[in-house]
Amino acid sequence: MDVTNIAEISGNIAVIGYGLAAVGPGIGVGLVVSKTIESIARQPELAAKLQVTMWLGIAFTEALALIGLATPFIFA
Amino acid sequence: MANSIAELFKQVFIRGSLLVAAIAVIGSVVGFLVAGMPGLVSALIGAGLTLLFVTLTAVSVYVGGKLPLGGFFGVVLGGWVLKLVGFIVLIGALKGADFISGPVLFFTLVASILGTLAIDSVLVLKARIPIDA
Repeated sequence: MDVTNIAEISGNIAVIGYGLAAVGPGIGVGLVVSKTIESIARQPELAAKLQVTMWLGIAFTEALALIGLATPFIFA
Repeated sequence: MANSIAELFKQVFIRGSLLVAAIAVIGSVVGFLVAGMPGLVSALIGAGLTLLFVTLTAVSVYVGGKLPLGGFFGVVLGGWVLKLVGFIVLIGALKGADFISGPVLFFTLVASILGTLAIDSVLVLKARIPIDA
């Protein structure tokens, strides 16, 4: 047995990048949506305004996800 | 200046499409000069993908806004998950293709995303959405 190699990991490190590109925006969108639900529960009459503001928040976090997932095109 | 949600999303779609079209043209020219035909194709694909995915978010919020609150979040978040899965599949399919120039596609995508974000922000900040909309 080769004792110098006790923790070998094989595979593509880019997979971790895919994971990170999904985790960050996932948490971001979760926070945006949870706060929007909270706000609408407090002030239901502002729902329309809050939904539009939420869309802007989702658009920004989504941008990070799309850019992160497209990085294989330059880093591969 | 948008006075209703429908008007806001109409403006977002029109101005976003114009910007992405402009980026597609500029990207195609630059891509063609840098990487030949694959560069041109990549710029068009990058701009098209951005328009598709950014528009889907706006459409999901607009359509979901007409539903009860549970339906709204279902449509927006369900749409978001499906969209990202679709994006990963598309990227995976395009990655090995020989008619693609990776850097041109990536930078067109990034330019289009940042440009549409800027337009979205300006339009939302300028919009005057009535409370009972």
